Amino acid sequence: MTALIDLSLHEAAQALRAGETSARELTLACIARMEEVDGHVHAFLAQTPDLALEHADRADKMLAEARKGENESLSNLVGIPVAIKDVLTIRGVPTTCGSKILEGYRPPYTATSVQRLIDSGAVILGKTNTDEFAMGSSTENSAYGVTHNPWDLARVPGGSSGGSAAAVAARMCFAALGTDTGGSVRQPAAFCGITGLKPSYGRVSRYGLIAYGSSLDTVGIHAHSAAEMAVLYTTMAGHDELDSTSMPGAVEEIQLQDGDLRGIRVGVPKEYFIDGIQPAVEAAVREALNVLGDLGCELQEISLPHTNLALPVYYIIAPAEASANLARYDGIRFGPRKNGDDLWDTYLKTRGELFGPEVKRRIMLGTYALSSGYYDAYYAQAQKVRTLIKQDFERAFERVDLIASPVTPTTAFPIGAHEDDPLAMYLEDVFTLPANLAGVPGLAFPVGFDDSGLPIGMQITGPHLGEAILFRVTHAYQKATDWHNKEALL
Amino acid sequence: MPEYESVIGLETHIQLNTRSKIFCGCKADSWEDDPNVNICPICAGLPGVLPTLNKSVVEKAVLLALAVQADNILPISYLARKNYFYPDLPKGYQISQYAEPLARGGRLIIPSADGEDRVVNIEKLHIEEDAGKTVHQNGKRLIDFNRCGVPLVEMVTAPDIRSADDAAAYLIQLRRLLRWLGISEADMERGQLRCDANVSIRILGEDSLNTKTEIKNINSIENVRAAIKTEVKRQIQTVEAGQTIEAWTLGWDEDTETLRKMRSKETEADYRYFREPDLLPIRIDEEWLLEIKSSLPELPLARQKRFTLDYGLPDYDAAILTEERSLSSYFEATVKLSAGDPKTISNWVMNDVLRLIKEKKISAGGLRLIPKYLAEIIEIVESGMITRGTGKELLVNVEDKGKTPLELVELEGLAQVSDEETLKSMAMTIVDQNPKQVATYKAGKATILGWFVGQLMRATKGRADAKIVQSIFQELLDNDGDLGS
Repeated sequence: MTALIDLSLHEAAQALRAGETSARELTLACIARMEEVDGHVHAFLAQTPDLALEHADRADKMLAEARKGENESLSNLVGIPVAIKDVLTIRGVPTTCGSKILEGYRPPYTATSVQRLIDSGAVILGKTNTDEFAMGSSTENSAYGVTHNPWDLARVPGGSSGGSAAAVAARMCFAALGTDTGGSVRQPAAFCGITGLKPSYGRVSRYGLIAYGSSLDTVGIHAHSAAEMAVLYTTMAGHDELDSTSMPGAVEEIQLQDGDLRGIRVGVPKEYFIDGIQPAVEAAVREALNVLGDLGCELQEISLPHTNLALPVYYIIAPAEASANLARYDGIRFGPRKNGDDLWDTYLKTRGELFGPEVKRRIMLGTYALSSGYYDAYYAQAQKVRTLIKQDFERAFERVDLIASPVTPTTAFPIGAHEDDPLAMYLEDVFTLPANLAGVPGLAFPVGFDDSGLPIGMQITGPHLGEAILFRVTHAYQKATDWHNKEALL
Repeated sequence: MPEYESVIGLETHIQLNTRSKIFCGCKADSWEDDPNVNICPICAGLPGVLPTLNKSVVEKAVLLALAVQADNILPISYLARKNYFYPDLPKGYQISQYAEPLARGGRLIIPSADGEDRVVNIEKLHIEEDAGKTVHQNGKRLIDFNRCGVPLVEMVTAPDIRSADDAAAYLIQLRRLLRWLGISEADMERGQLRCDANVSIRILGEDSLNTKTEIKNINSIENVRAAIKTEVKRQIQTVEAGQTIEAWTLGWDEDTETLRKMRSKETEADYRYFREPDLLPIRIDEEWLLEIKSSLPELPLARQKRFTLDYGLPDYDAAILTEERSLSSYFEATVKLSAGDPKTISNWVMNDVLRLIKEKKISAGGLRLIPKYLAEIIEIVESGMITRGTGKELLVNVEDKGKTPLELVELEGLAQVSDEETLKSMAMTIVDQNPKQVATYKAGKATILGWFVGQLMRATKGRADAKIVQSIFQELLDNDGDLGS
């Protein structure tokens, strides 16, 4: 039999049902794998073996009952070890957002998305590294050190959900939750050669997602395949009364059986194949489009004319929301406090010493954009342009069923490459930002490698609440190819 | 010295009496609770939480908007973040409304003693969450987060108020309205109704708006009156001394009855308002609006006026009876159940029922002396079955014992002794037994007649008609004890 950690999620679920292994055994295998490789990868900020084994034992009970026929409708998640990005809360488990300002903080409640996984029998292995408050594209902005890309430890895993992507790529867990505000699930999925979903805004509850840009934040998923992600997605998706912006109504069922993609219209936006895109990336994406064509998709070039405005719009709206969202970190009620001479001095010291430079940069950007006298020129204007970007997608989806593009212009870059150039780092997200601004779902999956053996990802974007077609197309592609089964040799 | 006129606008914060807070399920009213007991991750602003809007906050605020005849209840309004740092503001922003408030325009009518009603225009009305409470104690800052997320309505008037007395009258009307609608307890001492006053002056006859000062944290209607009077006086003195008014924010010190400068307006924070992305727009469609409208009761001033027209009550009576909604309904219910004169009923309600309400500290609706019983008591008094005095005692007894008036009349034998033969024979006995007093009467001291009346009233426990008793004694004593023979 294959080593437990090398099983797919469904294979593991099958083995658990059949009694060929136990959740405890599976969990211990993941813990052993963490011990073996996480010293090199540094995907985890907190490992929670005790909690994981507690979950595993509970899962084993559920499995035992199922075998006795007492619990027929058992989720495929029962007993499956997963990791959670450290911006999602778990009751009693350290939650830092990769920031010193939350060092030692243990939230008193669990995020809805995580709770739904736990309720379905998942095993929580720990919290994964992230750029501080999810602000970044490499995990280099984490206050607790960078995560290394399992394909090349000298390179970044992408970010901000780099810890989750690396943990899945290095097979320390079967799946992981990330968050995606501007590409933070899709870009690291591409860099780490795995599959990643950013759901539609409002599809998965944000309750317990520590906010960065509230109107853009989504809870996303990392796994090796669309089929695996679908298990987590169907568990988490749907209305949550604790999140007013979560969509009411039923979640569209995910159908994976169909390998036939005839009649599906795929739009290829010309604005996404720009100068500066790495030739290997473009070549791999074009080749993947051919595969989709072979599977029956109809390809057509489309235009998303406001694409080049997405980056400036994003860097006004997200920092503006962040400037308010991060105001609560004042050292008064939780987290460490740096006492000053008076209240104001305490604020300055606490926030000045405990926030990292990128967080401070965005708080300042956002504060500026919202300030009286600048609001109309920046924030209000950005909101108007955001509407135009949204309309680009709405118009496109009148003609096509999904839009395909590269995830990033390049493959994973070396650690430190963008150290002194925040703008170059911002450009990492140029292809992923528009989906967040439009609130539409995006799915990234591996479609090849460059000359250095680094994974390349393709992104498909669907209309709002159109996750089902993204799953269907990706699953068909992954049945026809095996890029997603390639493993980092670690 | 020219004659000055004061120009006053009031900004009121009204604490709505919803059971739970505006964005979470915590208990809203913490008046009698220890600090920091009615809090949860949401109202304490912990990382990752989201607000969800309490629907009844919107309903109560819309009810108020309807009651002040808002010109525009926005079909779509938005919540907004108001950003500032303070330890008792856990999120670092207050969720409020800004560019698109719940309602715009409207008016509150202030009846005036001189008969000339004043109209105070309302500029806007919006909902927001309250912040926590900071107490400074022994050099320490103690924070109570209970109040975080308590629902407030902010209602801002136009600068239409022309005197401190009118400002007080506005607040009295507003308080009456809020309690009438049942949306706030509106007790200023408990912070359920708070008032900031914007004050400026101008030469009478001009219509310019001059630099204003803002007086904050005034915690009673009397203090609003006093603070505005003090500030208007200060502004006049300042201008008369050739100086200019500066846009200060002032605090009223209740103990010394003085105004204290808190800050200059120029240093005021830029709140960087923007729409709250965590909450959906507030959509008030026609259907919901109609539903809320259907719960809008007849308003106090309308009812007051109707009482004068329908029941011929003096305006004084109508005003007292409509001071509070449940009292006015009580009165009207009694009138409808009774064949009696509304003015007579009004007298009973204003004197005896109101006294009972004040003593028992309950509302008219909570009385065991229900309108039906009051109507019965008034009827049996009017019919002569019991005396007025017995009626007054009976009313208290019905409330205390929870029995019907007729039961009590029967049980305690309260019916008036109106049989003259019985009274005469009792009177003769008294005359026989008290020769000394009879002699005094005979000696010409007629005032002792009252003493005889008193004896008989005591013997009947007050159930006799004093006038009849008096005439019986008069006849007896004048005719040497020989009655009618």
